[in-house]
Amino acid sequence: MDPQLTEVSQLFQRFNAAFIRKDYDSCANLLSQLKVLLTKFRSLPPLFENTPNAENELLLAREIYEQAVVLSVKIEDQDAFERDFFQLKPYYTDAGSSRLPASPQEYPILGLNLLRLLVQNRIAEFHTELELLSASALENPCIKHAVELEQSFMEGAYNRVLSARQTAPHETYVYFMDLLAKTVRDEIAGCSEKAYDYLSINDARQMLLFSSDQELLEYIQEEHPEWEVKNGFVFFQKAKESAPSKEIPSLQLINQTLSYARELERIV
Amino acid sequence: MTQDVEMKEQAAPSNSLTSSSPSTLQHLKEIASLIETAAYDREIRRILRAVRLTMALRRKLKPSVLSAFIDFALTPGSEAHSRLSSYLPKEDEHEMEVDTATSAVQASAKHTLPELEIYCYWLVLIFLIDQKKYNEAKACSSASIARLKNMNRRTVDVLAARLYFYYSLCYELTGDLAEIRGNLLALHRIATLRHDELGQETLLNLLLRNYLHYNLYDQAEKLRSKAPRFEAHSNQQFCRYLFYLGKIRTIQLEYTDAKECLLQAARKAPVAALGFRVQCNKWAIIVRLLLGEIPERTVFMQKGMEKALRPYFELTNAVRIGDLELFRSVAEKFSSTFSSDRTHNLIVRLRHNVIRTGLRNISISYSRISLVDVAKKLRLDSVADAESIVAKAIRDGAIDATLDHANGCMLSKETGDIYSTTEPQMAFNSRIAFCLNMHNEAVRALRFPPNSHKEKESAEKRRERQQQEQELAKHIAEEDDDEF
Repeated sequence: MDPQLTEVSQLFQRFNAAFIRKDYDSCANLLSQLKVLLTKFRSLPPLFENTPNAENELLLAREIYEQAVVLSVKIEDQDAFERDFFQLKPYYTDAGSSRLPASPQEYPILGLNLLRLLVQNRIAEFHTELELLSASALENPCIKHAVELEQSFMEGAYNRVLSARQTAPHETYVYFMDLLAKTVRDEIAGCSEKAYDYLSINDARQMLLFSSDQELLEYIQEEHPEWEVKNGFVFFQKAKESAPSKEIPSLQLINQTLSYARELERIV
Repeated sequence: MTQDVEMKEQAAPSNSLTSSSPSTLQHLKEIASLIETAAYDREIRRILRAVRLTMALRRKLKPSVLSAFIDFALTPGSEAHSRLSSYLPKEDEHEMEVDTATSAVQASAKHTLPELEIYCYWLVLIFLIDQKKYNEAKACSSASIARLKNMNRRTVDVLAARLYFYYSLCYELTGDLAEIRGNLLALHRIATLRHDELGQETLLNLLLRNYLHYNLYDQAEKLRSKAPRFEAHSNQQFCRYLFYLGKIRTIQLEYTDAKECLLQAARKAPVAALGFRVQCNKWAIIVRLLLGEIPERTVFMQKGMEKALRPYFELTNAVRIGDLELFRSVAEKFSSTFSSDRTHNLIVRLRHNVIRTGLRNISISYSRISLVDVAKKLRLDSVADAESIVAKAIRDGAIDATLDHANGCMLSKETGDIYSTTEPQMAFNSRIAFCLNMHNEAVRALRFPPNSHKEKESAEKRRERQQQEQELAKHIAEEDDDEF
């Protein structure tokens, strides 16, 4: 076996051991060493050179990046997630069908990425990624989970989003689901503000998913100081200022009329 | 064996003519002379005309006619000649008639113009594609592209753009589009460096098509936003560009822009391009539905499109009524159509619009309705769902209503009088602006014949004059060289 490959795989074993110990600091340390070593393999993307060990190297590199993505979720680092995911992606798309057997981790990680885009509210990218998936991939529970979440989120069926946390197909999903819960709370607050005139504190607490009135009051103070809490009710009225009295858009009208005159003159 | 046949081809080009072909061959020769004059005069418009005339002849092309024409246009024995004739099937057993031997001999004496050479490549390529000989077509197009890379003449650009198109087409037909992506990018770079705008336009479209073929919307958008833009040279290419742009924007949820692009593409497309217009219409319908608009019935009843648009018509109907059950059954019924149109994911997105429309209908018809009834009417699973969905619709401005949580009902507000706002004025203004813009563009598009006010010179005189000018320029250039 190639000495370089042996070195990398030994290092990766140490990484895995540290990962199981949940020693994430040394994991991150080992990972950066691994990434440096991977740059020496010429069979990896973007070169894709056909070296004798190509398949083993590609497989190993793919596994390393998959672990890197999972690690970034564990240490809750979204930027690292994005970086590692983009490094991993060519192994699925370009090296996928022809060179390598499919990875069992592929769909969970793709689903995780979809979830991340949803949490960061990057819906356009979410759909762009979705287009790349085949019909059979869309049937996969991990992907389906994310797709259904997006739909419920768009419709506004927020309690479905929250109940989906229990059905998360993979343990790594929980982190993003928790983040999503926060986003959902903000959304609900925004919607309630517009939709209701007032709510009783009890209802508001339930709706915004707080366990005690105290938490609700703190949240209102921090995020929505314009709401008014009075006699056991939350009033949103203040936030809905009455529409400002209508002004005549004189400047705009003058501009328009002048441009008509100018154009007409050009024609005549 | 091959040698033997080639020998025959060269020895008796005139023999391989069937009785019906002289007129076609005659036409081709006329086109060739048109290209020649265009090359001398540097008149790009004449080449465009040659291309148009050729397309009319496309169905009449036969191997015998083509080989006769190649013998006429290219020097026998030259590299291009031998390569092109090797692609053509041999039909030597035909009864022969002698009639164009003399012209072929005359032609062989003169120097071949690069324009004519490229034209021959193009002609053979179309013929091969029409005959469904895709592997030969691939070889032929690759050879022509290699040749093109070394040519830098503005008069070739028009023909080159055509060649790029067919080059990509034959790879698409065999399903190897990904192979030529790098090559197309290189060609686009070359075209940009040579200021060949038509080539850039064509290649950019081919690249977008290439990316979209594999659903690589991200890459397509990155390329599109960074590629240089200029005023469109060819209407067809512009239509294609708009269509691809509309698709990208749809995927990225910029529906308003997407709708504009797709509708414009559908309107600008030539009447003959039925398939293209159907595609544009399909996408435009979905985008309009996603925007919450309902396309008019006339859209679905356009001539020749009724059948293709039928699934979309039923879909629209379901969205219009706001019936989730009906929507689901339509989506299932036509799921194969939708997935072959690759609109399946977009249709999934529509579910949300169905609910919205249903909700809007309810809000218009009832001034006060309980959320339980809303959930029942929209066929939602639970009242809690209905409440949050209604709340979101209110926040997004889809309906104008308030919720009463204690009593569990929705209260619709009175709709305001639109004529008390500035809305009508804005609409009026945008129409006026459109008309004025149209007038200005019409004026700008007017064309005047060159030098019509000066005394008329005959074509020959002009050519003479231009030749003199060229010689003069050459002399000056040589003198300049001597000085150093």
